[in-house]
Amino acid sequence: MRQERLVPAAALLLVVVAFALTPLGTGVPLATFDIYNALQGFAQIGLLALAIGLTMIAGEFDLSVVGTYAVGGMIAVQAGQSSAVLGLLAAVVAGAVIGAVQGGLIAWLRVPSVPVTLAAYIALLGLAYAISGGLSVTFTNRDATLWVDQTVAGVFSPRSLITLAAFGLAALVLGGTRLGAELRAIGGDRRASRVAGVRVDRRLVLLFTTSGTLAALGGGLLCFSFASANPDPGLRPLLIAAVAALLGGVSLAGGRGNPWGLLAGALAVALLAQIVAVAYLPDWSTQLFYAALLAVIVAIDSPGLRRGIDRIRARTRTAEA
Amino acid sequence: MTQPLVVIDALARSFAGVPAVREVSLTVGAGEIHALCGHNGAGKSTVVKMLSGQLTPDAGRVLLAGEEVDLRSRQVAQQLGVALVDQELSVVPALTVLENMMLGDIDAPLIKRRRAAAERCREILRDIGLERLRPGQLVSTLSLGERQLVEIAKALSQRARVVILDEPTATLSEAESQTVFAAVRRVAARGCAVIFVSHRLPEVLELCDTVTVLRDGRRVTTAPAAELTVERLIVHMLGETPHRLEASRQPDPDLTHALRIEHLRVPGRLADFTLTARAGRIYALAGQLGSGASDVLRAVAGLHPTADGSVELRDRAVPFRSPVGAARAGIAFVSNDRKGEGLFLDQSVARNLTATRLHKARTARSLAARAGLPEDRLADPVRALSGGNQQKVFVGRSLDRPDVHALLLDEPTRGVDVGGRAAIHRLLRDAADAGLVVVFASTELEELLELGDVILTMRDGRVVETYQGGTDGAALMRDMTEGKDAA
Repeated sequence: MRQERLVPAAALLLVVVAFALTPLGTGVPLATFDIYNALQGFAQIGLLALAIGLTMIAGEFDLSVVGTYAVGGMIAVQAGQSSAVLGLLAAVVAGAVIGAVQGGLIAWLRVPSVPVTLAAYIALLGLAYAISGGLSVTFTNRDATLWVDQTVAGVFSPRSLITLAAFGLAALVLGGTRLGAELRAIGGDRRASRVAGVRVDRRLVLLFTTSGTLAALGGGLLCFSFASANPDPGLRPLLIAAVAALLGGVSLAGGRGNPWGLLAGALAVALLAQIVAVAYLPDWSTQLFYAALLAVIVAIDSPGLRRGIDRIRARTRTAEA
Repeated sequence: MTQPLVVIDALARSFAGVPAVREVSLTVGAGEIHALCGHNGAGKSTVVKMLSGQLTPDAGRVLLAGEEVDLRSRQVAQQLGVALVDQELSVVPALTVLENMMLGDIDAPLIKRRRAAAERCREILRDIGLERLRPGQLVSTLSLGERQLVEIAKALSQRARVVILDEPTATLSEAESQTVFAAVRRVAARGCAVIFVSHRLPEVLELCDTVTVLRDGRRVTTAPAAELTVERLIVHMLGETPHRLEASRQPDPDLTHALRIEHLRVPGRLADFTLTARAGRIYALAGQLGSGASDVLRAVAGLHPTADGSVELRDRAVPFRSPVGAARAGIAFVSNDRKGEGLFLDQSVARNLTATRLHKARTARSLAARAGLPEDRLADPVRALSGGNQQKVFVGRSLDRPDVHALLLDEPTRGVDVGGRAAIHRLLRDAADAGLVVVFASTELEELLELGDVILTMRDGRVVETYQGGTDGAALMRDMTEGKDAA
């Protein structure tokens, strides 16, 4: 099994089994509400994980997503007080513009994405403060708040369904068109992609536009659900999204991964948080679990380990000879 | 004859004021296989890059089917029907065979039709004799030769009018090369113009209809392959060659230690290599890309973890599966990639010279003097130096170290001007005289003949011949391009 499938499958399986076994520890059977809650957690980080994961497949890293997440939420809340749809639309357009500008800089100036997106992250936090005056903004559109979190079919909500739909759409586009292969080619070997005739620059702009859009949508939906927008969400959402992407089988070196894997990674992360909640474990243990899972995945993925294995193989071959 | 499909008219291109291609003209007809030959630096790659849309010419024009075209990018070149098999692989290991075939193919539909595409991919693979590959297989699981064949299959699959193959067989085995030739002939028979660049002269004569020879950026001759022989091609490529290896210098009897390499193998790169290199002499490995010459050095220096065989220096076994082990045993390696694998470009010259030793300040000055580096530049970052001086820093770092007993250099003067070259050659001669074992790999005939006391020619991962004197450039060239079996 290829690593891009093995890693997310293993991560998800591990967490699902652990989730199913939690009643043994707590003595309380699982309820559909627990699954609903896990999916709400998934909705909270899913779009961010998808945004970061897609940039990682192309060998980039979009640090600004969490800034776009904050600005998107702020814009959605302020523009959506009367019409939620208008608010989300404004947030998404803003996210797309933010992403397109960064993608353009990265592609045409041929600069690495980390410094560009780091600068953008800081600037966006500043922007979020400027828009809000440094305070949380309350979302008074109660109907929208109730609507995004209402239960659908017992376990879903419109928010988690929209998030799932985004993953489905990404999988459809990347799996069904040549964009998927091109994205991995850009991440795998940029020089070769250019020689082969891939329009690398255009793809990078498209990619960062997409990640900005997804991050802003995620931020908007979250703020609708919380009925308030916070100008600084902190770095935690970014880190958890990155963990989800890595568990999703994306390689840090680029060139590997797909939306289905990212979906599995994001579900694994959300489910893990839910296990901690159901089992009444202290909150900090979530972080320890994330760290442990990530450590295992990074080790599986490391070239050092692979080279070590190669070397042992070479040695045993010499010994046999 | 009908009008030629490709007309190259007085194409010229310089780099930083140095002309690489000067007014080269040639024509290729539909169905013709046209070889482009020349020694290193003759300008073949530059012509190929201009034709494939990777470089814009300074002057001259290109006509396709009678129409002047502006090949300003790879995409434009592809749209006009120019397919390229690059010298450096342009297949992406992270993708499958099928995905690589479709990658950058402007005819490929945006929305994939999976079954049809896989079917067509299988057909192309069958055509080129690669039935054993599956379209869904990851390219990272293929051998280097197979990757090269996939690359060729990809170029052939695009509905091209002109197919350019730049050293397509450098890393292929004989059987794989034959597969490639068959495919190339089929493509030509379909009415494509094929431009074939290769160092392997017999295969050029076997495959091609016409041969154009370049030397120093100029076209020397264009002739039907049937009227040429390997010898005459070599004469055209080298011009008048005064270079001869004089009777070899005798080893100094006081210097008895040696680097003993026995049955060194690197899977897929080096078949079997044995050499006893004595201190005080310079050993030259002559081989083109893919010959294994540079792999010998890299393996001994600990950069091929999968190598096996045995290596001894001063009668002690060298643990050559890690760079640290090799370095501890007294082996210093100067890579052919000084920027990637050698220098700390942002650090000063002095720091680079003394990066591997403890006594810094005085050593840096004396090393700079030895290497012929101006003392007032010791504090400058290496990045600011010319290529030649950078290389002197790289070589200088391994000199005058009591713990170094063998010096291995891969292309010691790549990208270095004439003056710098002479200085580096003097450094290496001094190092040998001081009692070091010196082994270097090179593709430059002049360098091999000037510097080598013993020359080993290599091809296809094996040694073709060992010369201790009494050879010349033409003989080396023949070994490097033809190999023993054809001689």
